[in-house]
Amino acid sequence: MYASALGEHNGESPRIPSNPSQISETLILILVSTFRLSLTYRTGPVTITTRMPISSRTTGPFEPIPDSGAAHGVAPALGNVEQREKELRDFIENVAVPLQWVGEDGTILWANRAEMKLLGYAPEEYIGRNIAEFHIDAAVIEDILCRLKKGQELEGCQARLRCKDGSIRHVLISSSVYREEGRFVHTRCVTLDITHQRSSTEVYERLAAIVESSDDAIVSKDLHGIIRSWNRGAQRIFGYTPEETVGRHISMLAPPEHADEIPNILSRIARGERVDHYETKRKTKDGRILTVSLTVSPIRDATGTVVGASKVARDVTERVQQEQALQDANAALRRANSDLQHFAYSASHDLQEPLRMVATYSELLQKRFGGKLGPAGDEYIGYTVRGALRMEALLRDLRTYAQVSTEEYEPTEELEANDVLKKALANLEGSIAETGAQITSTDLPRIRIYEFQLEQIFQNLIGNAIRYRGSDPPRIHVAAERQHKEWMFSVRDNGIGIDPRYKEQVFGIFKRLHSAADYPGTGMGLAICQRIIERLGGRIWVESELGQGSTFFFTVPS
Amino acid sequence: MIREALAEHNVEGELLVISDGDEAIRFLQNLDAQAIVCPELVILDLNLPKRSGREVLESIRKNWKCQDATVVILSSSETPEDKADALKLGAHHYVRKPSRLAEFLDLGAFFKQILAASRNPGS
Repeated sequence: MYASALGEHNGESPRIPSNPSQISETLILILVSTFRLSLTYRTGPVTITTRMPISSRTTGPFEPIPDSGAAHGVAPALGNVEQREKELRDFIENVAVPLQWVGEDGTILWANRAEMKLLGYAPEEYIGRNIAEFHIDAAVIEDILCRLKKGQELEGCQARLRCKDGSIRHVLISSSVYREEGRFVHTRCVTLDITHQRSSTEVYERLAAIVESSDDAIVSKDLHGIIRSWNRGAQRIFGYTPEETVGRHISMLAPPEHADEIPNILSRIARGERVDHYETKRKTKDGRILTVSLTVSPIRDATGTVVGASKVARDVTERVQQEQALQDANAALRRANSDLQHFAYSASHDLQEPLRMVATYSELLQKRFGGKLGPAGDEYIGYTVRGALRMEALLRDLRTYAQVSTEEYEPTEELEANDVLKKALANLEGSIAETGAQITSTDLPRIRIYEFQLEQIFQNLIGNAIRYRGSDPPRIHVAAERQHKEWMFSVRDNGIGIDPRYKEQVFGIFKRLHSAADYPGTGMGLAICQRIIERLGGRIWVESELGQGSTFFFTVPS
Repeated sequence: MIREALAEHNVEGELLVISDGDEAIRFLQNLDAQAIVCPELVILDLNLPKRSGREVLESIRKNWKCQDATVVILSSSETPEDKADALKLGAHHYVRKPSRLAEFLDLGAFFKQILAASRNPGS
């Protein structure tokens, strides 16, 4: 519709008319692309317009022309000129491209609707203010104005503008200065909003940076297995540059024995499936074989069709080697532990045989020759016999302890702890009668444990309670209570008690707090109890004060 | 010590002592070839040099000349498995080796009883 207006131009250079009253307005608006817009115009009596009071400047640059005389030889009819002017004014006010004029000092002289809509201000909030107030970066607008004053034409200067709602818009500013007789009248400024493109670009750049800086290899390939992209992580792990891989088949990374995995993975991807944390072997450029964890996901186009795959490969060689080393070390430790326990068992077993000979033959010596060797001879034989018998007891308990550690431990059936307690008490009948011990108990539960072992625990704990009695006859109480997922048993006595400093030590192998002469025993009883309980997954401990009696607690899973 | 135990209880008879498993198995093999009778009572330890008491026990049970022999296992092992195993293989008794002399000597009475029973099966 502006062909006629443009036609008036006739190829001549634009010139500033000397007589404002004779000026007609022409505007050539060329939209070069979505991103670039250049605006060239020759306009009317700008000096009048720009000096209009702010309140009345909403009509824009095209003031009514009092006399629309011929500008370029062909004088259009007055009605046509007015009509054209009206159309142009409407166009420039309402065009969807933000436009504005700024004075030399930065004052906004005029802006169209699109400009104010972009930033969200009403005309009275925008026009008449200094443009620098709306720029986030003071240096940028300062530079723009400075360059314009120098006569430069600016194209696509990046800037950030503050909107009324506080948000920020990224824009490209293209501007030049309209001068009259060399005097800066106003800028011809076009603002292009690139916020959306910029955020898309930022997201793209950020994602690209993540992919690029990843330690993992991130590779994309098409459904035929042809490599399409190759990040720095891939280069670091496999040693190939993108130039050496892009366009080649992904199977270049698979060692021969793993080559058949590739078609399988590709067909799964084509079906839209993922391959998650698949641990396999891949070959590097220099021939090293790596253990990698692969995650391969389908890439879909806008219609949802699978068009390729993204592969993330993590080099787990070191981790796998460490895990293997840890497993080996654990196995070695278990072997060593088991060997040690077997050794303890065998040693105590094998030592017992010669010791039995020493004990029995010493006794035989005593029997046959007692009284014939003089008092000292009898005494020495007595020491030998006692020593041998004590050592035999120690070895027997050591063997029991080793046996608890080496045997398979999976009791499957539950048994009545009440019945086992009765058996243990029957075994202790002699010492109970001898000391006048009174033993009471609450009703005990059914628990999963080997009978002989529970019997041993009761016998050791009650035996200790009797052995380490005070001046009063022993009073012993056995109880059990349910605590969460376990039973807590207790054996409480009124004996001599244990100094709390030793409450851990009493569970040690051959640990005794008293001499064998004062209190007989091997010092293995509690160690055996602890071993049995721990293998069951329970705990054993003692609470006691010297002279206040002791309570031994142990738990077993219920 | 067994000799002492037998003497303590005046057990009459010939005592043959074999000191390892190998020798015991050879003795059993020779029983077939020679005109030797099998002992009435075999007191056998499980833990023997060269061949185990278990192997000896198996040889005894396989030997037709020893069908009537009473086998007593005298072992320091207290495990129920060893006892069950020995009885399953054909031992008649399983006795844990005592540590005290008195208990050892008491075994003489036990052996005497066994011999008396095998010599007078009807009684």
